[in-house]
Amino acid sequence: MPLLDLGVAIAIGLRYFTIIYLAGLGGLFSERSGIVNIGLEGMMIIGTVFGAWGTLEWGPVAGLLIGAGAGLVLSLVHAIATVTFRVDHIVSGVVINVVAIGMGRFFAQTFFGQATQSDPSIPHFDKFDVPLLSSLPAGLGRAFEGMSPMVPVAFLLTIPVLFLLNRTRFGLRLRSAGENPEATTAVGVRVAPLRYAGVAISGTLAGLSGAFLAIEVNELYHEGQTQGMGFIALAALILGNWKPVSLMLGSLLFGFAQAIPLRLGDAPVISLMPEQFIRMIPYVVTIIAIAGFVGRVNPPAAAGRAYEGAGGTL
Amino acid sequence: MAAVAPTRTRPPWVDVIGGQLLALGGAFLFAAIAGALIIQAYGVSPVEVYRIIWVYGTSELSDVGRVLAHATPLIFSGLAVAVAFKAGMFNIGVEGQYIVALATAAAAALTLDFLPAFLLLPAVLLSAMLGGVIWALIPALLKVRTGAHEVVTTIMMNGIALSLVAWALLNPMRTSDQGVIDLRTDIFSTKALIPKIATTFGLEEQIPPSVHLTWLFPLALVACWLVWFLLFRTRLGYEIRAIGSSSGSAEAGGISIQALQIKAFLISGALGGLVGMNSLLGDRGYLAHNYEIGLGFAGITVAFLGRNHPFGIALSAILLGLLARGQDGVAVSFDLPSETLIILEGILILSVVVAYELVRRALNRRRKHAVRTEESSAVPRERADASS
Repeated sequence: MPLLDLGVAIAIGLRYFTIIYLAGLGGLFSERSGIVNIGLEGMMIIGTVFGAWGTLEWGPVAGLLIGAGAGLVLSLVHAIATVTFRVDHIVSGVVINVVAIGMGRFFAQTFFGQATQSDPSIPHFDKFDVPLLSSLPAGLGRAFEGMSPMVPVAFLLTIPVLFLLNRTRFGLRLRSAGENPEATTAVGVRVAPLRYAGVAISGTLAGLSGAFLAIEVNELYHEGQTQGMGFIALAALILGNWKPVSLMLGSLLFGFAQAIPLRLGDAPVISLMPEQFIRMIPYVVTIIAIAGFVGRVNPPAAAGRAYEGAGGTL
Repeated sequence: MAAVAPTRTRPPWVDVIGGQLLALGGAFLFAAIAGALIIQAYGVSPVEVYRIIWVYGTSELSDVGRVLAHATPLIFSGLAVAVAFKAGMFNIGVEGQYIVALATAAAAALTLDFLPAFLLLPAVLLSAMLGGVIWALIPALLKVRTGAHEVVTTIMMNGIALSLVAWALLNPMRTSDQGVIDLRTDIFSTKALIPKIATTFGLEEQIPPSVHLTWLFPLALVACWLVWFLLFRTRLGYEIRAIGSSSGSAEAGGISIQALQIKAFLISGALGGLVGMNSLLGDRGYLAHNYEIGLGFAGITVAFLGRNHPFGIALSAILLGLLARGQDGVAVSFDLPSETLIILEGILILSVVVAYELVRRALNRRRKHAVRTEESSAVPRERADASS
């Protein structure tokens, strides 16, 4: 019986991994280009409401694309504020988050006729069983049954991301804008368009993450469903030292932490705690991870710093 | 052209005040126009909407009361955000701090019942501040000791606070009254409650009991003045502002950053603790599971709109109170989602942040230019040169 629970917990953990990893990859592109993106949560919120609307109107593929597009649009606000007007990155990100909560209510009212949620059971992808793995014995196979196709997509996304960042001219320039914008400018590459691109990719992935959450995980939109996961994605980014593969491992950790209160409440040791304390586990894990790792990582050198030089503005 | 004197005769503070007013005016105008476009898209007259918002918030004494009652918690949460911001930190955890403070204040109101009224109420308010301080202490210590960014840790503390208070309401604090199905505490004795202004002045005729304008509002204004005094008239405030504007030079000037960051964050937490008091002690008189959330995040809007200045915060809280009251008017009068006003608020705060940044940079450029022209005053420069 506990093993069966463990299997289901892994399945849930993989879903939450996908949410956190997609948003975390978004944060990675933005921060590697030199723009801190605290607004991931807000871009996810916009992704949830537009994703749910898109799938209701035109199905899940459209839902994911529209959610990603909405995140992209909101991220452009962040890019204009931070790159062009050189507003403090955290101020702008915090404002984006506050504004997104209001926009979520506004658009939910417009799309669903109620400000706080959509009807349940919005259209989603067919779930599938992973061959071989889903027939693992002792309940562990449950971990790989009824999986959303987006979960393997998220894992596989690591390959093009690695290629883009490390093997292309765009990736090299993006990273140089985040490490040393003065040198970037000195070799004749404009920093601002690179940073716009980094933030735009960031918003697209965060919007996609939100749309995935609404369409594939909860199968409805409701207010507050992101539950701070945009910030947990930032924590995963710190834990992963701004590198895609380590970010993936960090997201797996936080994803499974999310699954504990949902499924492992009856597991040994955990079952001794009151339910409300079990629900604190993901947050506590995040705080401990951040506090324990933050001193030992290397953020992009220029992240968070406004760049004043030529090419700093469009 | 060459005849234009390069030296400026205006004192610099005129530029600063003028620039700020210009930024504020420009941002409001931009938001009003952008809002008008959205409202127009619903086929409603924007002028009429703006008029109704004003009418609903100001036409009767009870309307003003509602606006100020709404502003009361926002002043405290705006101040909490601002004090941390002045020290260069972001307290996104006011939300969790006031939620924990609701529980500590309720616990004090119930257990210190034996105190006379003039001691009980201050004790309850102090417990609220203490609750906020405790909840702010953890992220403050983590930031100073480990470098964990307060934005991430305070958000996590918010999540923990919700579960903690849910647990407290279900277990130790739950009312012993078997007849009550609601998840709530016992009802406080009336001497723990904050008196309403209407009752004090015998204005119950004009201001109905559903308006929760209490003496906490004047107290919030006093808090604004105290925070102003702290920030701009004391050594501690000077040091807080120094680390906020330039931690490197503050440290070089012999200021210990870490101790100050903790102090500023705890003051922020104490102010945050008072956010929920108007509804707890001025309205309900008990803590129930469906307490109001989101006031801490609203404080971020209030603080940025008020330029993190205590008096600006009082004004922006009242403005947001007016918009909140205006939502009722819009809902009754037009076929327009009242959430439109939330969007309006969002556009306003974004444009205020950008406008102030533009003005700040323009002033900096001017100051640098002024210094440069003074240095090379032997050769007067032409205006055209300056504006390029």
